[in-house]
Amino acid sequence: MTDRQIPAGDLMAEGVYPPTEEMLNEPVPEEVQKRQKENLRKAWKTPDGWRYWTAVNNSEVGAWYTMTAFVFMLIAGVMALLMRLQLWVPENDLISADMFNQLFTMHGSAMMFLFAVPMFEAISILILPAFLGARDMPFPRLSAYGYWAFLIGGIFVIGSILFSAAPKAGWFMYPPLATIELGIGSDIWLLGLSFIEIASIAAAVELIVGALKCRPPGMRVNVMPLYAWYVLVVGGMILFAFPPLIAGDFLFELERSFDWPFFDHTRGGDPMLWQHLFWIFGHPEVYIIFLPSIAIAAMIVPTVARRPILGYSWIVLSAVGTGFLSFGLWVHHMYTTGLPNISLGFFSAASEAVVIPTGIQLFAFVATLIAGRVKMTLPMLWIAGALAIFTAGGLTGVMVAVAPFDWQVHDTYFIVAHLHYTLFGGMVFPVIAGVYYFFPFFRKKMLSERLGRWAFWLIFTGFNVTFLPMHLTGLLGMPRRVYTYPGGLGIDWLNQISTVGAFVIAAGFAIFAWDIVRPKKDQPQIARNPWGGGTLEWSHEIPETKWGVRSIPHITTRYPLWDQPKLVERMDAGRYYLPDAEEGYRETIVTSVIDARPIQVQRVTGPAYITIMAAAFTGGAFIFPTFHLYTPAIICAAFAVVSIIYWLWTTTARPPEKDMKDVGLGLSLPTYAAGPQAVGWWAVWITMLGDATAFASLVFGVFFYWTSNTAFPPPGAEHASGLFVALATAAFALSWALTRGARSLNRAGRVGLARAALAAAPLLTLSGMGGFILSVLDLDPTSHVYPAMMWALMVWVVAHGIAGTIMQLYCLAGSLFGKLTPRYDADLWNVTLFWHFLGLTALVTGAMIGLVPRMM
Amino acid sequence: MDRDDHDREPQPQPHGDEREFSEERESLWRIAFAPTIWAFHFIISYAAVSVYCFKFGALFDMNTLRFALIAMTALMLAAIAWIGWRAFLRWDVRDTGEFTNPEGSAEDRHQFLGHAGFLLAIVSFIGVVYDTLPLILLGSCR
Amino acid sequence: MTRDTRARRALPPGSSRLLLASPLLLAACEGRQSVLVDGGADARILTDLFVVMLVGAVVLWFGMNGLFYWATRRSPAPHSQRVANWLVVLGGILFPTVTLGALLVYGLTLMPELRATGDGPVIRVTGEQWWWRVEYEREDGSTVTTANEIRLPAGERSTFLLDSKKVIHSFWVPSLGGKMDMFPGRVTEMTLGPEKPGIYRGQCAEFCGESHAWMAFEAEVMEPDAFEAWLDAEAEPAAAPATPEAGRGAALFLTQGCGACHTVRGTPAMGRVGPDLTHVGARHSLAAGRLGTGVEDFARWVANPGAWKPGAEMPAYDHLSDAQIGAIAAYLEGLE
Repeated sequence: MTDRQIPAGDLMAEGVYPPTEEMLNEPVPEEVQKRQKENLRKAWKTPDGWRYWTAVNNSEVGAWYTMTAFVFMLIAGVMALLMRLQLWVPENDLISADMFNQLFTMHGSAMMFLFAVPMFEAISILILPAFLGARDMPFPRLSAYGYWAFLIGGIFVIGSILFSAAPKAGWFMYPPLATIELGIGSDIWLLGLSFIEIASIAAAVELIVGALKCRPPGMRVNVMPLYAWYVLVVGGMILFAFPPLIAGDFLFELERSFDWPFFDHTRGGDPMLWQHLFWIFGHPEVYIIFLPSIAIAAMIVPTVARRPILGYSWIVLSAVGTGFLSFGLWVHHMYTTGLPNISLGFFSAASEAVVIPTGIQLFAFVATLIAGRVKMTLPMLWIAGALAIFTAGGLTGVMVAVAPFDWQVHDTYFIVAHLHYTLFGGMVFPVIAGVYYFFPFFRKKMLSERLGRWAFWLIFTGFNVTFLPMHLTGLLGMPRRVYTYPGGLGIDWLNQISTVGAFVIAAGFAIFAWDIVRPKKDQPQIARNPWGGGTLEWSHEIPETKWGVRSIPHITTRYPLWDQPKLVERMDAGRYYLPDAEEGYRETIVTSVIDARPIQVQRVTGPAYITIMAAAFTGGAFIFPTFHLYTPAIICAAFAVVSIIYWLWTTTARPPEKDMKDVGLGLSLPTYAAGPQAVGWWAVWITMLGDATAFASLVFGVFFYWTSNTAFPPPGAEHASGLFVALATAAFALSWALTRGARSLNRAGRVGLARAALAAAPLLTLSGMGGFILSVLDLDPTSHVYPAMMWALMVWVVAHGIAGTIMQLYCLAGSLFGKLTPRYDADLWNVTLFWHFLGLTALVTGAMIGLVPRMM
Repeated sequence: MDRDDHDREPQPQPHGDEREFSEERESLWRIAFAPTIWAFHFIISYAAVSVYCFKFGALFDMNTLRFALIAMTALMLAAIAWIGWRAFLRWDVRDTGEFTNPEGSAEDRHQFLGHAGFLLAIVSFIGVVYDTLPLILLGSCR
Repeated sequence: MTRDTRARRALPPGSSRLLLASPLLLAACEGRQSVLVDGGADARILTDLFVVMLVGAVVLWFGMNGLFYWATRRSPAPHSQRVANWLVVLGGILFPTVTLGALLVYGLTLMPELRATGDGPVIRVTGEQWWWRVEYEREDGSTVTTANEIRLPAGERSTFLLDSKKVIHSFWVPSLGGKMDMFPGRVTEMTLGPEKPGIYRGQCAEFCGESHAWMAFEAEVMEPDAFEAWLDAEAEPAAAPATPEAGRGAALFLTQGCGACHTVRGTPAMGRVGPDLTHVGARHSLAAGRLGTGVEDFARWVANPGAWKPGAEMPAYDHLSDAQIGAIAAYLEGLE
């Protein structure tokens, strides 16, 4: 095989790596530096005027994302103030019961879905590339798409309260209360938040790929910043925690819209299934919120202690360990549902076990401070507050993990106090610490020390005044989610103290918000690296540049700014990798997962309207069904698909103008990647892992009904047609084989055959979909949960079949129009990977519809 | 057996896609083996007890199930201990005296993954022991 | 006599042990719905558990934060890295493994006792929006139906079979023990062993819709003899109206259609939708802990239930004159 015939995805790095000291010592001529800077500036320019909103760069999208999440938090905070006013005195009639129920539902939902999780993603999008010396995230347009989806969905959900149409069954939306609730509140919650969850998963995919594949050359897993470890763990948790909720939402909305009785006990359903699915999401969610905030602390503490973190491996252990254990806790939200003691015991045990890794993290921080020369700073003050509050919340957490004690305090104000202690200590305080610490990084100005101290003491004092008494309020018997309470229970004065405290917190937040938005024109720009940190984000230049790093460094230590003396100087001079953008493209380096060997130059995308359009149409597809407007919803969905196809077709996996590119320091890297080398392939793999988790949750549902229900399937129930199921499964399997075959044929240069396979495969997929539909057509999904479950599985596989068909046709079109060739076949690799998952899904669905019920 | 051959950089190596992917996946997954065993132990115990109590409570005695699960626990603890021991050897602290492995070298990366795997094995071991306590202390479906 | 004064008079004495725990807890003894008042063995066991955990938590909180304060403020200079390393090993793994393990064993061993089989009356409680249907299963197989009030014999372990009509509720009398959720279509079981006679307050703990806040009840623990006597009386049909006004009320009760939803045993009123009212005048509270059981309470409620309990299914009878409502109230108050 001659060189020209090697598939572009198989090309390898050529030249010298790692760079030698002599190469690094060689100066870069002034005029070269000047030209390079000019090129970079042009490639990374942020659009002006109205076109500013088409920006996709992580520094812009991250800033919008952060601010939007912060505004949603303030709105949800105002809701809390209204509730505290209503609870000021017993039998208050300031706010009606109905509105109060909307308020607490929205307060919880907004804080969780519109603030806590998006805030992690926003901050990570904003600073992760800087930690990793990367120019941008691997998929900037995906970040932008996620942001616009979040904004549209968030406004839709939170705005509903202005029309008194907000959900009002609690943020956990337990059926049957939420399923029988009239009005569109529950639908707004289900569809609006599902939309946002999908945006969250998109961000998680991007962050995982960013942390795994976009590290600077040489940054092996044992030297990457702890933040990146946390991002990996949390991204992984999102991938396994959100899909069960999406599966739950899917069943829930089918019940709301079409009366399929998944949670209706009169027709074999069971509200407990929702509780399981919700809390399998809901408890890892708590750690999804907590871990990234601890990650911020892990970046601040070494700077304050002026020494490397002590117990790096221990912190990695605790992050990974917490990630695992947090999936064994969900039933501790269900201790009072009457499950057998022994089952509760397992969850009690895991709930105590998770304390150990959490404690290790805190002790590692304290140990670092003991061993270091501590220089107290304002961010550290917030970390100190976080520790004081979080340890209290953690200790009450240990208490409520003991099942019998939880039987008493479950669903009381004791829990309200506990969860606010963990979330303020574990999230709000570290995040504010992060804002004070990183603000000079992204705005090049300091926040006010004086205002910061005021804000701290107000919020810290107000917090404890509000929530410390609530422990007692709960022990005195006040349940959660009551819009008022009778006098004479001994809780009046406690509620008044809490209300006063809430307004003190609000005053603190007002000062904090003012500090952020106040004009800082007259204030001087900061000096470079104002805190004296050791990690790469502080290498960024002053005044600000949009390209991130001037050149991508070779990293060999955990704290390169402390341990690699000439690093910044060489980065500035453009001595390291990718110092130039001569073709005018935005580029960043892709490296290998474990050892960060350079693999490829990745062209990342620039400003675009198409992402906004795609997000708006996706929003329409989710929002219209809330009002039972299915036709506009389908039209929107179709336009969303068209927008996304246009976006992918025009910008991803295009054959490059040259195969190899000199990235500096004597190293040439391929400009095209396919299969496991490509970031896109990883994104598909990770997304499909999440998708498979959602599907597994549906399968779990079938078995759950079997155990919880004495008659599932009901005796004498009609089963799906075995013949159609068998045919459908076979058609899917064949389509899968053809897709896989097309990839090999195409690589082998037998383009005609590959096209034939790609043309035949969609027909098979369509007939497979038809087969699954016909197999359950005679069952009535509204009659009993058994046929409803069979229909749900059918809908799931058919929806994926549609996506699979589109992908097969996309590859066929790519082949016909020269985007996909035997040398440039990344699209086909990605589609094949999707089909591996879809093929398995179809096989399992076939078994679940055709075989398993006959054996139950 | 180890990943150190990566250090034969600068020579670009054969990038067999599958090969690199599986190699990488293996070494990152390796630190997660022990917690994965914990997860299986947890899920199997919970599912077995649930299915027994809701479906087959009348068929056989609960003690049979408990002893079966405790026997499974013993096996899994042994597996975690073995994984932890292997990881401890990879960490190689007794020979190098190096606890923290902060260098960007293949050796330190290798030992670091050993250290992290070792610590995760300890936590997983504790987790499995905790999860077995209910099986020992509680014996009915009530 | 209003519900409040009756209840206060019958307050159980606070546990002296608690007085030692914390001055703040003093206030706890005032509560009729307090976890920290031990009306029975279950609540006492759980209070002990709480006090043990509270003391441990306070010590650990000061330990951890004291260490942090010392390292950042008192002595910010560098200290031995060896000591710091050992801190992570001891504080991070060894100490928590032992203490948490011990706590776990403590908690697990309490569970069988708290879920012991009952030896006292069997009471079926069904959650409705927003009140409680209560049925006592007697040994002769008969059932005594009442509502919004539980009476229990002291010294026996009563069994509760919990059910719900439509949405999930949770049955909870803090001073007697833990709570248990009530599901539609599935019966959950719990037992409670009250010891000290007195009136305690219970409340629904699982959010159940608009008037979740007003779904409460009184639980009276009685001496076993008194309990038996009360249950016998409760099984009797309703008393005839004692005054002419009450008689007019009884007639209005039927003509206004109240009987379509409510049962007053011994009369044609046989409805099963709303609470049984056969002995409603003898109860401690009206409308699931919302009001007392004085004449004026009945009048206020009948005139406009929605004002007291938003979303309540019972319609307002504000088209009736004050005299008519007064008559109905007099009738109901007399149903002792």
